[in-house]
Amino acid sequence: MMDSSDRDYSNEEITVSWRPGKCVHSTVCYRELIEVFNPRKRPWVNMNGASTERIIEIVNKCPTEALSFKWKDESKNSSLNDKSNKLNKASESASQTGVKPVIVQVMRDGPLVVQGSFEVYNSEGKLLKTMLMTSFCRCGYSNNAPFCDGFHRKIGFKSDK
Amino acid sequence: MEIQNIKLPVQFRVLPNGPLKAIGKFTILDENGKKIEISDEAYFCRCGASKTKPFCDGSHKSKLG
Repeated sequence: MMDSSDRDYSNEEITVSWRPGKCVHSTVCYRELIEVFNPRKRPWVNMNGASTERIIEIVNKCPTEALSFKWKDESKNSSLNDKSNKLNKASESASQTGVKPVIVQVMRDGPLVVQGSFEVYNSEGKLLKTMLMTSFCRCGYSNNAPFCDGFHRKIGFKSDK
Repeated sequence: MEIQNIKLPVQFRVLPNGPLKAIGKFTILDENGKKIEISDEAYFCRCGASKTKPFCDGSHKSKLG
């Protein structure tokens, strides 16, 4: 579903689509390719920062549907694996086999990034959702608590203080 | 009747005006990617004020008044 905050970024070969509503701030994109994905810059995606192959590699590492891409040459798109299908399959297989080990990665000056099979309960003890990947706010300023919304960058959250 | 896999997934529980309680078997990697040894339970700071990040030290009480 399109959202007004969604953005497209293109070079001569591909268009990268950015859906902020889907982002869980795993930080994979900018930790691996800051030349292209730099949240401190506007626009935050610089399609001239790396080769098309490298950009595709990182887009494919995005754990959610927040980043996706399409070839400008339509005939190449039929061979693309639909990422949402992949994700749905991943969550199906996780629910069938039950458990994927959970890793909580503490991000410097950022959130807790959690991967694996896990459940999230709200402050009333109600099950919010069963998830495979998310990030939890550590700075106290997220408007989407308990999840991260990237606001830690705006307030200059320092995790060593 | 088939025996179900009854292994429970890890749970993250938001405590009202408090930390994030994690229950179950999980691995924590610190900011340098090093493993932090814990038992089956952890309380993660959610307010940003803890002196023992990523864990809660009760500082939210004074921060929030």
